[in-house]
Amino acid sequence: MNGSDARGGSDIIRAARAEGRSMLDLWEARRVLSFMGLPMDRAVLAGSREAALKAAEQIGYPVVMKIVSPDVVHKTEVGGVKINLSCGKDVGEAFDAMMASVRLKMPTARIKGVLIEEMVRGTELIIGSSCDPQFGRMLMFGMGGIFVEIYKDVSFRLVPIADFDAREMMEEIKGKAIFEGARGYPKADKDQIVRILLAVSEGLMKQPDIEELDINPLMVTEKGIVAVDARVILGEAKKPCPV
Amino acid sequence: MDRPGRHPLHDFFQPESVAVIGASSKPGKVGYAIMSNLVLGAEGQLGGGFRGKVYPVNPAGGEIFRHRAYRKVGDIPDRVDLAVIAVPAAGVLDVMEECAAKGIKAVILISSGFSESGSDGKARERLAVERAHGHGMRLLGPNCLGVINTTNRLNTTFAKKAPPRGPISFVSQSGAICTSVIEYSSEEYMGFANFVSIGNKCDLDDADIIEYYAQDPETRCISIYMESAKGGRRFYDALRKVVSRKPVVILKAGRTAIGAKAASSHTGALAGSDIAYDAAIREAGAIRARTMLELFDFSRALAYQPPVMGDGIAILSNAGGPAVIAADVAQDLGLPLSRLTDETIGKIDGVCPPTWNHGNPVDVIGDADLARYTAVLDILINAPEVHGIITIVGPQAVMDLGDVARAIVEMSGTTSKPFCASMVGVVSQASENYLDEHGIPEMEVPERPVRAMKALYHRGLYLRRRGLG
Repeated sequence: MNGSDARGGSDIIRAARAEGRSMLDLWEARRVLSFMGLPMDRAVLAGSREAALKAAEQIGYPVVMKIVSPDVVHKTEVGGVKINLSCGKDVGEAFDAMMASVRLKMPTARIKGVLIEEMVRGTELIIGSSCDPQFGRMLMFGMGGIFVEIYKDVSFRLVPIADFDAREMMEEIKGKAIFEGARGYPKADKDQIVRILLAVSEGLMKQPDIEELDINPLMVTEKGIVAVDARVILGEAKKPCPV
Repeated sequence: MDRPGRHPLHDFFQPESVAVIGASSKPGKVGYAIMSNLVLGAEGQLGGGFRGKVYPVNPAGGEIFRHRAYRKVGDIPDRVDLAVIAVPAAGVLDVMEECAAKGIKAVILISSGFSESGSDGKARERLAVERAHGHGMRLLGPNCLGVINTTNRLNTTFAKKAPPRGPISFVSQSGAICTSVIEYSSEEYMGFANFVSIGNKCDLDDADIIEYYAQDPETRCISIYMESAKGGRRFYDALRKVVSRKPVVILKAGRTAIGAKAASSHTGALAGSDIAYDAAIREAGAIRARTMLELFDFSRALAYQPPVMGDGIAILSNAGGPAVIAADVAQDLGLPLSRLTDETIGKIDGVCPPTWNHGNPVDVIGDADLARYTAVLDILINAPEVHGIITIVGPQAVMDLGDVARAIVEMSGTTSKPFCASMVGVVSQASENYLDEHGIPEMEVPERPVRAMKALYHRGLYLRRRGLG
C-alpha cells in the first residue's frame, strides 16, 4: 500500500459538495480509496469514444467498461457496465450502446465519461461502512458480489478497529474457506486484508463526511488483493457521523 | 458524594444512612415493602436488614417498623446519604427539592408515572433531571426497584426475596427480570454482590453502573439486561474500559426500528440496529447471551471459574450419549476440543479398560467407579494440551454422586484450569448442589456446561489476544 493522503480525499469530497452532490462518481470514489492507501485495479477515465479506445489499448484486452456519473447509483440497471470487451470493435460498440442506454433510462444523468478497467477475476469480498444513529460509524467485511445479497455473510465492527478486530471479522465469515484458498480458489493474504481494513477504518476517521461506503468487490486474485468497484455516499454536511 | 477517594456513585451502594420518603406501615404498599426489606431484610437475606441507619419519612409521622417516622426529610436530625423516593409521581419534584435542601446528593426514584407513561410523564421526568443537575444531585430511576448490595444488606427494592451473596453484579433495565433473577438465583447458588434496576435511566444509566462495578472489589463478573442504551457510543466506550478489568455478559433484547431512510448501499441495508449492538458488544470484548438461561450460565461460569487460557478443552464422561451431545455442541459453538497426546492416551490406557474410546470426549465407560473416574480426571488436569474440563456424570449404581462431586471439587482446587459440570438429569439433589456451592457451575443437561465453558474460552481469548493473560 502506498500510505494514505487524507487531504487528497477531502479535496474531492469538498468539490462534490460544492456542486451540491451527495454521491461521488465512480472515478472520484476510486481516488478517495486510493488516497486512503487501498490497492486498486488498473483503470483509466475516458471522456470520449476515442479516449476509451486508447485507454483499452493502454490497459490491455480484455477490459471492462463502466459508466462514470454522479447520478447513477446502480450502474447495471441503466446498462452502465460491460464486461469482457476483447477488441477495439467491442469497446466502440459498447461505448455507443452504453451512452444510448444511460441517456434513455436516466435522461437527466450527468455523464463524466466511462471507466476502462482491467478485467480482474477472483474471489469477491466486500468492505463497507455505514452510520448507525446510536453507535456511529460501522465497518463491515464479508463475502462480496452475489454472496452479500443472498447470504449476508458479513461481520460488523465500530470504527476505529484494531488489528485483532480485523482478524476476528475474518474469522466470523462462514465462507472464509473460499478466500483461504479452498478448492483452488485464490488464497488471500490475510495480513493484507488486515492492512486494508485498518486503512479503511483510519481513512473513515479522517473523512467524517462519508455516510456510506461500499467497496464491492474487493477482489482476491492470484496476484494479490485489489479494490475493483466503489460507492461513496456523503452525509449531511452539518451532521458528520459520530465516532 | 464526591468525597475524595470515593467513587461518584458510592452513596447509591454504600450509604451510611437512607431516608425512605413514602415509607408506610400498611402492608401491601410499596413504602411498606421497602421499609421491610431495609429494616428486617428480604426473604433469603442472611443477617437481617441494612447495616446503616434508616429514616422513614411520612407526613403522618408516628412509627414505622419501630423507627420514628419524620414528617419531612428536613426534620431528620442527622446526615442522610441516600434518599429513596416512593411517593406518587405528582409529589416527586417537591420531595426532590426537600432532599436538595437537606444536602442529599444521591436519589433513587422508585415511583412510576414518568417517561414510560405519556407526555405529562415525559415532561415531569425532564424537569426532575434538570432540577437534580441544578442541585448536583444524581438520580437512579424513575420507575425502578433501585439497589441491592448484599455486603451491607442495603435493599431499596420492594422485591419479595433477596439474592444470595456472591461475586456477580447485575444491572437490569427491567424490574421484572430482576425479580425473576432473584428467584432463580436462590435455587441455583448464583450469588450476587450488587443488583440494580435502573428503570427509565433518566440520569444514571448502564454505563455509569458498570463503571462502578468495575472498581467494586466484591464483583468478579458483571451481567447486564438491556433493551436499549441511552447513548450507544457512550455505552460502548464504558463497556470497552470495563471489560478490560472484568468479564461482562449482556442480554440485549428487543430491536429498535431500522432507520426510515432508505439505504442506498449494501452496507446500509445490512446494518440494522441489532447488528450495531452486536458489533459493539463483540468489539468491546463482552459476551452476548441470547437467552435468560445463557445469561445465568455464562455469569455463573465467569464469576466462579477462571478463563480458558489455551486452545482445547476436555470432556470427561462415564456416559456415552451425553458426551456425544456435549461434543456436538462444542463443535457447533467453535469451542475447540483438545487433541489428546500419545502420552495422555497412554496414561489413560493404564487406568481404563482397553475398550475406552481413545479420544476426546474421554468416555471412561458406564461401569466406571470413583477410582477410575478420578484417576482419568487427574490425568486430564495434568495434561498440557487440556485447558479446561467439562465433567459429565451419568447417574449409575457403582459410583456415588456425592462422592464424585466431592472429588471433583477437591481436584479442581489443585489447578487453574476451569471446570464446568453436568450430573445428567439430576435436579436439586445434594450432590449437584455441592458442586454449585463450591463454585463449579453444574447443569442438569450436558449442553449447558459446554456453553458456559465457551464463555470462559471467549474470556480467555480476549485476555490472550490483548496480552492480558
